[in-house]
Amino acid sequence: MSSWLNSGSGKFFVQFTAVALFFILWQLGANFGFVSEFLIGTPLGIWNRFIATIIDRSLFIDTGYTLLEAVLGFALGTIIGTLLGLSLWYSKWAAQIVEPFIVAINSVPKIALAPIILLWFGTGLGAKVILVILTTAIIALIAAHQATKDCDKDLQSLLYSMGGSKHQIFFGVVVQSSLPAIVANFRINIGFGLVGAVVGEFITSKAGLGHMIYNASSLYDLNSVWVGLFTLMFVGFLLYYGIDALERFLFPWRTDTGRSHIQM
Amino acid sequence: MQIQLSIDSVNKSFPSKGGSLPVLNGLTFEVYEKDFVSIIGPSGCGKSTIFNIIAGLLEADSGDLIYRGQKVKSLRGKVGYMMQKDLLFPWLSVLDNVLLGLKVRGVDPKESHNTAREYLSRFGLSGFEKAYPQTLSGGMRQRVALIRTLVMDPEILLLDEPFSALDYQTRLYLEGFLLDAVATFEKTVILVTHDIDEAVALSKRVVALSGRPTSVKNIHQIEIERSSPIDARSHKNFGEYFHTLCSELDIQTQRSSA
Repeated sequence: MSSWLNSGSGKFFVQFTAVALFFILWQLGANFGFVSEFLIGTPLGIWNRFIATIIDRSLFIDTGYTLLEAVLGFALGTIIGTLLGLSLWYSKWAAQIVEPFIVAINSVPKIALAPIILLWFGTGLGAKVILVILTTAIIALIAAHQATKDCDKDLQSLLYSMGGSKHQIFFGVVVQSSLPAIVANFRINIGFGLVGAVVGEFITSKAGLGHMIYNASSLYDLNSVWVGLFTLMFVGFLLYYGIDALERFLFPWRTDTGRSHIQM
Repeated sequence: MQIQLSIDSVNKSFPSKGGSLPVLNGLTFEVYEKDFVSIIGPSGCGKSTIFNIIAGLLEADSGDLIYRGQKVKSLRGKVGYMMQKDLLFPWLSVLDNVLLGLKVRGVDPKESHNTAREYLSRFGLSGFEKAYPQTLSGGMRQRVALIRTLVMDPEILLLDEPFSALDYQTRLYLEGFLLDAVATFEKTVILVTHDIDEAVALSKRVVALSGRPTSVKNIHQIEIERSSPIDARSHKNFGEYFHTLCSELDIQTQRSSA
């Protein structure tokens, strides 16, 4: 392949062109009547709505709400789930007792709990945070528990033979070696956090991107719906790369030496 | 010679499909103070199981460990265990890996830092204190693992095929390194190996084991004055010991004339 297309700026060029082409075709399709402006919206219309919601600041408020619900719920859910998942390492007996319950709870789509959660905790921010905690905690728990099970037994044996106590092995080996897998799971979980927040807003809310999307679509304001969706995409994107940066900061020893890739 | 550790009629079996699989069957041998004992035997004969029992990772079904005249459950905390895998903690720097054993034991950090740096520089690894293990070569990693084992000042080194994953040159180099270290720090070593050549070149005595269920078949005194493992291999008695041990393990050294 040409070396420029293979370089960083070359790849960006390809990505950018693809996106630009998509929107241009969409706009032209709408202009020539191939695409229904009423049912699908147009890039220019989306842009106008985008500017309008920025000027009246409603986009910031809605984004702020959703982001707060998602991030707060994700943080709490992850901490609770991770601590529980890690602590199951301490007792094999407890882990075996609890395991089928975890599987059972996990097999319920947590989103299905949204109506009762809102019934119990009201229509405000708190209810959505709790919904997000529910969706993320169980996944964090499973990820942490699995990570402790995957922890190298030989490393544990080594520390034990040195005279290490169970606590020393837990904090010195099990937690340390589980952290990368736990943090890697954040990427998936932050996405679930957004799902929980948005679905909670669909059901009942006064603000948030889910609220904005739901209201706009019931008014057939497709351009506003797209503004909300693209903003959600952008938020998810930033959170994902934020976690990526966090990972590289936390685990400098996992530097990619390039040897993990093969040329084909 | 003073006996440091006796392994006295140790039995161990593992649960398996349809009953239990006896692995160690009345295993008995002695290790002297400042001894260098190699354990050789057919593969799968439970050599590592012996180490796991000594280190306290497994419990024997019956039999005793007698350490300097006292019956003990295991030598956990007193041994330096080193395996074929270097088992360096990937998230710790070279220095922190070396410090691991001292930290577990609760040695004053300042003191242990000095000791660790001293060992690292003695063994040609100063300048690598802050490096992460994955940036080092296999030979260097195994050297760090050996330093980690030595720095704890263990009473017995348990080396479980420590060099078998390395290429021959690195292995010769590390064997020399080990002999030096053992001489300098006056350590007792038990080495499990599948390599008869290595056993003869390094040890004072070789314990040959039978196949499973394992017991001691024979103990050989290796009388070679050596200044290095390469030296030992060119000693006039080397070949004879080598052949004796090969026949001990029933290795066919000649093609049968059938």
